Amino acid sequence: MNITFSGNRALVLGGSCEIARAVARSMIRSDLFPILTYRNDRGLNSIREALQPFYGRYETCYLDFGDRDSLDSNFSHICDDISFLVDFVQGNYESLIAGADEESVYGYFMENISFRAEVLKRAGRAMLKKRKGRLIYISSSAAARPNPGQGFYAAAKLASEALYRNLGLELAERGVTTAVLRPGYVEAGRGRIFLHKQDTKSLESVPIKRALTIDEIAETILFLLSDNAIGINATEICMDGGLTAGK
Amino acid sequence: MDVFAELRKILEELLDLEGKEITMETFLIQDLGAESIDLLELAVTINSRFKVTVKDDEIFLTRFRLYSVEAKEQGRDVVHCVAAKYPFLTEARIEEIMSHIKDGPQLKVRDLISYVTHKSREA
Repeated sequence: MNITFSGNRALVLGGSCEIARAVARSMIRSDLFPILTYRNDRGLNSIREALQPFYGRYETCYLDFGDRDSLDSNFSHICDDISFLVDFVQGNYESLIAGADEESVYGYFMENISFRAEVLKRAGRAMLKKRKGRLIYISSSAAARPNPGQGFYAAAKLASEALYRNLGLELAERGVTTAVLRPGYVEAGRGRIFLHKQDTKSLESVPIKRALTIDEIAETILFLLSDNAIGINATEICMDGGLTAGK
Repeated sequence: MDVFAELRKILEELLDLEGKEITMETFLIQDLGAESIDLLELAVTINSRFKVTVKDDEIFLTRFRLYSVEAKEQGRDVVHCVAAKYPFLTEARIEEIMSHIKDGPQLKVRDLISYVTHKSREA
């Protein structure tokens, strides 16, 4: 398959997570230049460690969805010159709706929806200037089928999906398109912890009977960024082995 | 830099208006058919070309009607209240917009010039 990319610089939000680092490696191998955001030293160090063989072929940038000032520093300058954006950022807040702490709820939505909207405004305007851009949001199959306690997580995911969807609707005629990927169970990060707690019982409900690998997700994201996938715009793609297709 | 000449060039490029007459009194929406996406792109281009910060709500007078209604309801001087929100517009211009607001969106090329000039002085 011949895959081409219109552009080079790719902003990876939430760059310290395992899948983001795998995506960055795939990007570098495809001659793209990833710029990975981090919010603390631990995140920065994990990026540097994971991408050690690729020194000089990526950049990092501080961006904390809980810190509005981080938008006006190096980030703005970087945002002005990107062709791609992949968004992995997701905070965690688990609580029953009727038992949630109000301050926590306000803060959670501020970080995961309002701040995201501001990032998308900046990225969208920067891409509009060049009449070219591709933005991918990494959601989750949990957005469509949350468990008790995951209501706020699902709300944030669905709201974010709507932002990306509308951005693609609004700017596509000017060369800026979007897509949402909803992965199911993945052998990475929170997914790995959950699956091992469950002793893989959850995988019995997945038609393919296994979790997705990091590389499978990374390569799918790379495809979604490519010129070949431009027709996939303002929509969500489920990548969960069929988990949410049936009852 | 001749702000009007540069703005006219930007409008011609963005709205594909080669040959169409554009004056300071041309309405962006009523005459040139500018839509939301066009105004968004215009804001981005003005920011890039003139190196001024552009607030879309401000430059395109999006809340003009809302501000005047609010001022009226509060029993305040409408022109003064609206002028405070749009410091780049003269009071004469604000009165002109108010008297014609029922005819549709009143945004003119000269309002953009006023905005750019005002922001350039601020910078």
